[in-house]
Amino acid sequence: MGASMTGDPKDLAVETAQGWFGVAPPNDAALEFAADLRQTVEAFEALRGRLRFEDEPVDFEAALLAYREAE
Amino acid sequence: MDATLTSRGTDLATLSLVEAAAAVADGSVTSLALTEACLDRIARHDLGLNTVIWTEAETALEAARKADRARAAGEALGPLHGVPMAHKDMYYQAGRLSTCGSAIRADFRPDYTATVIERLEAAGAITFAGLNMAEFAQNPTGHNRHFGDCLNPWNGDFITGGSSSGSGAAVAARFTFMALGSDTGGSIRLPASCCGVTGLKPTQGRVSRYGAMPLSFSCDNVGPLTRSARDCARVMRVMAGPDPRDRTAAQVPVPDYEAKLDGDLRGTRIGIPDTWFMEDVDEPIMAATEAALAVLQARGATLVRLTLPMIEDIAAYSAILGRCEAAAIHAQWMRERPQDYAIHLSARLFPPLGIPAPYYIEAQSRRGPILRAFAKEVFGAVDLLATPTIPMRIPTRLETDIDAGTPGAVERFMGVSRNTRLLNYLGLPAISVPCGFDDRGLPVGLQLIGRPFGEGRVLHAADALQCDTDWHERMPDLA
Repeated sequence: MGASMTGDPKDLAVETAQGWFGVAPPNDAALEFAADLRQTVEAFEALRGRLRFEDEPVDFEAALLAYREAE
Repeated sequence: MDATLTSRGTDLATLSLVEAAAAVADGSVTSLALTEACLDRIARHDLGLNTVIWTEAETALEAARKADRARAAGEALGPLHGVPMAHKDMYYQAGRLSTCGSAIRADFRPDYTATVIERLEAAGAITFAGLNMAEFAQNPTGHNRHFGDCLNPWNGDFITGGSSSGSGAAVAARFTFMALGSDTGGSIRLPASCCGVTGLKPTQGRVSRYGAMPLSFSCDNVGPLTRSARDCARVMRVMAGPDPRDRTAAQVPVPDYEAKLDGDLRGTRIGIPDTWFMEDVDEPIMAATEAALAVLQARGATLVRLTLPMIEDIAAYSAILGRCEAAAIHAQWMRERPQDYAIHLSARLFPPLGIPAPYYIEAQSRRGPILRAFAKEVFGAVDLLATPTIPMRIPTRLETDIDAGTPGAVERFMGVSRNTRLLNYLGLPAISVPCGFDDRGLPVGLQLIGRPFGEGRVLHAADALQCDTDWHERMPDLA
């Protein structure tokens, strides 16, 4: 499974939002939501390796049509 | 018509959409009378509910007179001829206000009209008001700092559900015969459930989004909130279909949903998930759900317990897809006008700016393969899935008020949409239909989920439930 993140995702989000988007944390609640990014990281860690080289976003609409109801 | 009016009183606004359209068509009621009834009801009761942001009464009354003249002249009538409607205030109409529930767009008047509005009006509908909503359609509770919270008609202390808060409350209060909502993670189904009305999130791409305020390019859906599945079927036939102005609108023919509503569920297999959707369901919600399933079974459906595949994958990816897209399109205003957002909204828009782009691409890339695997396994075994729309008893506005700093508000806020948001990642159609009331007298919703473009089967089952129950006909006491 690879290494886990050791830093605080909240701090990383603050740094990225400020440095890449020029957006500062607007309030304490934003930091509370940002702290929940830890769960996002953990969820993606658990899914590592499932994305296949051939997967691509355009397949979604095709999948909707492929499994559509026969009306 | 007389029998119907006798059973519900004499207020024309209490008719269903299908009844109202039929009454105009056969001449027993005028469009003017219907429109005046809606406006009168709003004038008498909206002060206590706050569902309406704007009305254009004179324009609507003149349109109603024109509709009545057209009928008198023997002109061909559309399926919604003369029926007044109010919509979530995010559907653009050239020259009309479209606040999107926000301070930032408090004076926004677009110069073009949404395809879905054009189609409803081409079928004869009259648009007369813009309805309250969560700011930029981005909360599941209905809180709105700028226009004031919309109040649940059944009990104003409790949330209406969001983000189509005014749509749910206005349909429940009989202020409008139908209201457009939008659904990116549950925003049609949640207010439908909380307010005791019927709300359909169509298949991704089933209805054009041209002229609808964007929130998430991947997960936004346009859909109706109505008093019954039959009403929903009527308007869906009008709204759905390809649109050259929206390349994401699917090139799939639109069936006559209403014609297939016969209440017969023999041969229909309904799956009951044993994980995620049915975990930690509050007792009154479970009781109402089971009672509704028994009605469907009595109508001929076979109930099948099953385990849904790939739920962890779907949950992880659905948690970021819409949020990243919303953060991207709001980044400039977040930079320049952060003070103009409510606390709970800017707080939610902020964290996705720190999510790496490859995570977002992964969520997009796996969406098709996951849908294929899910659909093959699930819809190989059943025709529909059934779950509670909201697994918990409806929380109060205070309990979910992040702006007020209520302890635990973030968790309750996110918990409201637990059973709805996964379906937006999968793009599946899902309806919420009233299936009872909890121990505090608040509505409970049953969610029925179909395979892609299976709106007809979803509506068919919802209508079958409403054949043998009257939950959808119950009205809150506004006095």
